[in-house]
Amino acid sequence: MTDNVKATSQPKTGQMVIHFTIFLALILSWELGAQMGWLDKLFFPAPSAILTSFWRIYVSQGNIWFHLYISLGLVFAGFTAGSILGVGLGAVVGMNATVRRFLQPYVIVLEATPRIAVAPLLIAALGFGATSKIAIIMLVCFFAPFINTLSGVINVDRDRFELMRSLGASKIQVLRKLVLPEAVPVIMAGERLALTSALSGVLVAEFIQRDQGIGTLILTYTRNLNMASAFACIFTLTLIGFLIFKGMERLDHRIAYWKNEAGLRRVGAKRARAWAAEQGGLARA
Amino acid sequence: MAKPVENSTASAQAKTVIEGRDVGKTFGGGAVIALEGANFTVAEGSFVSLVGPSGCGKSTLLRLIAGLIDRTSGSLTVHGRDITGPHTDVGMMFQRATLLEWRTAIENVLLPIEIQRSVTSADKARAAELLAMVGLKDFAFSFPSQLSGGMQQRVALARLLQTGADILLMDEPFGALDEFTRERLNLELMRIVSEVGATTLFVTHNILEAIFLADEVMVMTPRPGRLARMVHVPFARPRTPELTLTPEFNALVAEVRDILGTH
Repeated sequence: MTDNVKATSQPKTGQMVIHFTIFLALILSWELGAQMGWLDKLFFPAPSAILTSFWRIYVSQGNIWFHLYISLGLVFAGFTAGSILGVGLGAVVGMNATVRRFLQPYVIVLEATPRIAVAPLLIAALGFGATSKIAIIMLVCFFAPFINTLSGVINVDRDRFELMRSLGASKIQVLRKLVLPEAVPVIMAGERLALTSALSGVLVAEFIQRDQGIGTLILTYTRNLNMASAFACIFTLTLIGFLIFKGMERLDHRIAYWKNEAGLRRVGAKRARAWAAEQGGLARA
Repeated sequence: MAKPVENSTASAQAKTVIEGRDVGKTFGGGAVIALEGANFTVAEGSFVSLVGPSGCGKSTLLRLIAGLIDRTSGSLTVHGRDITGPHTDVGMMFQRATLLEWRTAIENVLLPIEIQRSVTSADKARAAELLAMVGLKDFAFSFPSQLSGGMQQRVALARLLQTGADILLMDEPFGALDEFTRERLNLELMRIVSEVGATTLFVTHNILEAIFLADEVMVMTPRPGRLARMVHVPFARPRTPELTLTPEFNALVAEVRDILGTH
């Protein structure tokens, strides 16, 4: 059965060949266009030039590492703070009907406002430097987890809620044993969105502040008309974005294990082993 | 006004565990009368079916006994104690299995214990025993999504028994299942409740099912919800499906249908 699933979900070899051919043709015609002067070399540097830039910024000059380190550090800090705040507040607001009623208008207003618009204000308030950058990232990371946690908590299954009450569960027990686990898949969807936004957030922050980080690097290269290096930075971000997406997908599969077949089998087997180790198996039952 | 309720001679000798006097419940500040003037007693260890069409207040009555909602009038006691909120003398089972899908079957069965206190090794052994009792010995570490609807309700039944409550409140527990599965589960339910000696209140809108399972049938009528009559079911246990083909059984079905039809 596992083999069947794999066979259908994996693209066939023939298709892979076609994909690769198209990709190669695209790159080659781009290269050709650039070399022959059909494309404006200033805005569309040849793939070979971009590749050379990759070598330079990663190896011979190696200057991108520092900026990557700075930017990803900010993303991590802002995302962690923003999403913890979002999930926490979402849970509190969701559990309390009164708080929800009076807070809702503000949430709607804030949600309708483009978060990036507030970025200059944050810089004015917090000054240049890491603090205001992290604040900007927090701001763009906050809403998706907040809204998703809120809706997850509000939309808790009525029958299950009634069951917990009939078992005499306290409010905290209802939250810990029913509401939060049930909201996990939708919270994870919010986190995925937040992390992607964090990447945009850090770029905006660095575009504005122009001191260090990958955003500043892109800005510097384009201003110097070194488009090949700018492209190398952008493709680096493409790769990071892709890795984030894949990483979050895997994390989601692990945390919300009951939503996928492989997770059910893995966790089920693990718990059976733990039980057997502790209870000496189910043989006595 | 509520009609007088017959008390059966069989249950009159046993101890009363649930007693309702003029129990009433209105919703929307009296705009909707869900239940009016219900008088009844439930004897220890008996199986009582609540039967009637939608809106007759049978689910309301069950929720009142569970303490999930507050009554508007009358008195209602369980083991002689007034009901003021959710309490652990009763366990509930719903039409949907309401299992927690991130927990294995056995972890679902242990949930009631976890809420009361920390789980001991003996609790775990008991949970395994209960799963075996409902025929799911080999599915202890399956997740709800890996089980059929009937199996999920079996887990819910095991969880209900794990509460240790001596009164089982069941709100159309097998109503969403197919006919064959339902019949089988009804038979097993009868076996299991007699094994554990629990008092059972079973809500259904199926008259045959109500009579087949019960010692007493509370026949309820709608608009406003009322307890019309308490019908005693005299058939010996264990019962087999053939019972439903006997003239005596069908006479009782006709009697209940008659009560429901005249209201």
